[in-house]
Amino acid sequence: MTYAEYPQVRIVSERLMNPETTERLMNLIIAVGGIRRVVLNGPRLPAVIPYGPARGIENPHVMRRTIRIGGQEVELQVHVGNVLLELENEEYIPKIKAACDEAFTTMSYSFKEGRFMKTEPTIVDFAKYGPDADKAIVGITDPGSRSGPIIIQGTK
Amino acid sequence: MAYKPQFGPGSTVVADNRRKYMNPAYKLEKMRDLSDEDIVLLMGHRAPGAAYPTAHPPLAEQQEPDCPVRKMVTPTDGAKAGDRVRYIQFTDSMFFAPTHPYLRSYLESYRFRGIDPGTLSGRQIVECRERDLEKYAKELVNTELFDSARTGIRGATVHGHSLRLDENGMMFDMLQRFVLDKKANMVKYVKNQIGEPLDKEVKAGKPQDEKWLKAHTTIYHSLGGVAWRDDAEGLEWVQRIHALRTKYGFMPEE
Repeated sequence: MTYAEYPQVRIVSERLMNPETTERLMNLIIAVGGIRRVVLNGPRLPAVIPYGPARGIENPHVMRRTIRIGGQEVELQVHVGNVLLELENEEYIPKIKAACDEAFTTMSYSFKEGRFMKTEPTIVDFAKYGPDADKAIVGITDPGSRSGPIIIQGTK
Repeated sequence: MAYKPQFGPGSTVVADNRRKYMNPAYKLEKMRDLSDEDIVLLMGHRAPGAAYPTAHPPLAEQQEPDCPVRKMVTPTDGAKAGDRVRYIQFTDSMFFAPTHPYLRSYLESYRFRGIDPGTLSGRQIVECRERDLEKYAKELVNTELFDSARTGIRGATVHGHSLRLDENGMMFDMLQRFVLDKKANMVKYVKNQIGEPLDKEVKAGKPQDEKWLKAHTTIYHSLGGVAWRDDAEGLEWVQRIHALRTKYGFMPEE
């Protein structure tokens, strides 16, 4: 869960980002440091067609790729359009903004500070995931997912 | 005096395009040349070259009841042969696609016979007899009503019309039925409309530039295009109809 003292920012690009752009942006952001949690958000790109008449057929998609963020391989499961960040403190915000300015050369983006991750699990979360759900990810992704979060080693 | 349809109000280029596309006397500009085989492949209802499966015997071979309406209405080719009813479905991006679902249904009703259009917010389906459908689909795809990047032929999993475009200017498609070949600046369909891989690619033409799209779109868009509020005539008519409907609800005595 989130704590009131940790600031959050949301980065929304003008267009859905290609994997190369996501990789460049994330590496610039990660280099700034001071990041606690990241959510890469966007419409989902499943590996297998999940429903409809072609259900079960493989779904090759050029936007679903494995990228490298901070030396760690990340398999994209969405076409990234929004990036949510939770930071250790506010002093990182201008540096993150500068990293975004450097990354977005061909399109504009919006940068907002605010609350974008859940602060408390809801009763629905409790009903869906039970009392032992990982509180670090409830509200940002499915805690029941087998894949779990990707941990990017810090520079500390 | 004979009735002359006006098709719709509006004093902007968007309204003009809407009127043009709906008007069956206006010849739609041909933009690309997909063959009959390409259209059959994209729709995926039958193998190219295969006979049309039938739902009933040809009309000439079956006993028709003595019905004045049947005598009055000439059946389409597909109905005459007893073809199955099949569909094509389109998704139109809100970012200046040449046409949009409501207009598709209007223009098809003006231009085609024997169709059953279904209109939803982001997609439009048209059903009719198979061989009629192939003829109509060819016109819908080969003319200015279609743009290879902002219009999608999608029978299932249509999501994408209201999403941001991707960096290459293509509308989002979870199944990625069409891909942009950057070198050739050409969009190619690699899957049919329901997402099954095609045996061969179907070239759907080059994506049009923003200038062309904005000159041919039928979508009002306050960000970068013609805003609905700027169409004085259109606005006046909608307000007039709204006012009349509201007053009618109170049963005014005149």
